[in-house]
Amino acid sequence: MLAVSPLRNNTSKDDDEGEMESTFTISSDEFPDFADGNLLESIDFDDLFLSIDVDGDVLPDLEMDPEILAEFPPASEESEMNASGEKTDESDNQRKDEEENKVSTSKGDEETVSKREEPKAVKTGSKDGDKGRKSSIRGKSNNNNQSTRKVKVDWTPELHRRFVQAVEQLGVDKAVPSRILELMGIDCLTRHNIASHLQKYRSHRKHLLAREAEAASWIHRRQIYGGATPVGGGGKRDVNHWLPPTMGFPPSASPMHHQNHHFRPLHVWGHPTMDQSLMQLWPKHLAPPPPPPRPAWGPPPPADTSFWHHQHHRVPNGQTPGTPCFPPLTVAPTRLGAVPVPGIPPHHAMYKADPGIGVPASQLRRHPLVDLHPSKESIDAAIGDVLSKPWLPLPIGLKPPSTDGVLVELQRQGVPKIPPSCA
Amino acid sequence: MGDSSTSYIHMVFAFLFLYFDSVQHLIEKCLIFNMTKEECMEALSKHANIKPVITSTVWNELEKENKEFFEAYAQSQSKQDRMSEEETSRMIQKMISDSSSKDPDE
Repeated sequence: MLAVSPLRNNTSKDDDEGEMESTFTISSDEFPDFADGNLLESIDFDDLFLSIDVDGDVLPDLEMDPEILAEFPPASEESEMNASGEKTDESDNQRKDEEENKVSTSKGDEETVSKREEPKAVKTGSKDGDKGRKSSIRGKSNNNNQSTRKVKVDWTPELHRRFVQAVEQLGVDKAVPSRILELMGIDCLTRHNIASHLQKYRSHRKHLLAREAEAASWIHRRQIYGGATPVGGGGKRDVNHWLPPTMGFPPSASPMHHQNHHFRPLHVWGHPTMDQSLMQLWPKHLAPPPPPPRPAWGPPPPADTSFWHHQHHRVPNGQTPGTPCFPPLTVAPTRLGAVPVPGIPPHHAMYKADPGIGVPASQLRRHPLVDLHPSKESIDAAIGDVLSKPWLPLPIGLKPPSTDGVLVELQRQGVPKIPPSCA
Repeated sequence: MGDSSTSYIHMVFAFLFLYFDSVQHLIEKCLIFNMTKEECMEALSKHANIKPVITSTVWNELEKENKEFFEAYAQSQSKQDRMSEEETSRMIQKMISDSSSKDPDE
């Protein structure tokens, strides 16, 4: 298990952010201990169920792949489906037997790993195998024609918030789909829905923590090597651009206040919705940025406060301005409650392309991913989806550029403050 | 700089890094829509209010990091008229599965 742990780490890292490894040394010791515990705990069970195909159960959303694949050149698809079909048939049978016996804990955890392990291929077969057993979630694209009849769960911010509340109540690492389901008390959700969402959530949290560590590392590097930044001629001055007051984070104060309740995806960084989306990402042990003692910090803090209050019914007490810090893990667990989760990023090609993009089903039949004439509405919907559900994995999963590179490049382009204000 | 403000900065930067994650995610959506870089800049500016320079920069960096993908993508763009939609889709599909298969086996 321990041996698997680093692998798992690498997996998630690779899945989420290839750049992390290339640019920074994300040492796990920078992570709180619970992160390691999390891995170990989940791996225990995952190890046992590596061969089990849980994908069908786990990620309804991901089931999109098979549908998409089904639309593709039959030759390639069939082989893929056949290959995966065999695997999944066995897995299904195995799983059927085990499902009765296994605790749902293991199920949830196994799904976490299995999902990573068998991205696309398995899903194809698993879906078919699971059709009879599960009621679920898919419904993306042209699925309606198939006998699958899965109902897609729309993880709204509210739903997600309740999910996170339940998870944190149980403890992220110990949360079990069946218990979560109980706590949430929502009829139309199945344990499978919860399980897959949980998997995404955990993955996303890891991603956030990794980003946090990366940021810390980056900052330290900047501070240490401040005079030797890659930017030509900038030197210290440039470094200072990335430090507080010049950061000029969220630009104008006004938009934030007005819109902190209204979750509208199409907003700018610095505007409520984008901020909300990103705020949803905040690892739970981090405090929200405190109200700006200086104007440079701008809007988000006050809005965030009310946002969180609204969304999570939690007043960020204990958070005094000017004393930002990492509160102990036990503090305000749900503050960042809506921490959404990216699924398993990179290899989810067609993953969320469907409803998000709004490509009509008929079009999908011919060219699932490529809408050559995207309508404003579909673009709007796609973008909105990305912003409102940060836990969704990257549709293509390109290798991310180094943040360092991006920032440096932006500096070169004369963008002194990040993020910039309205376009 | 005290510990708390250092931590605060860490948070802020993590936030920033996540912002770029979002931009990348949005760009990928545009790629699926088979949009050009300029179209993408416009779409993100219009629908997500992201300054074109940001989109452009992240796009460029993505391109550096994923040269093969973007080369093929550019080819498909130029072949748009001659290449069937299915071909284009297929190509993107392939790239996606290629990037998927690159993931180390767990």
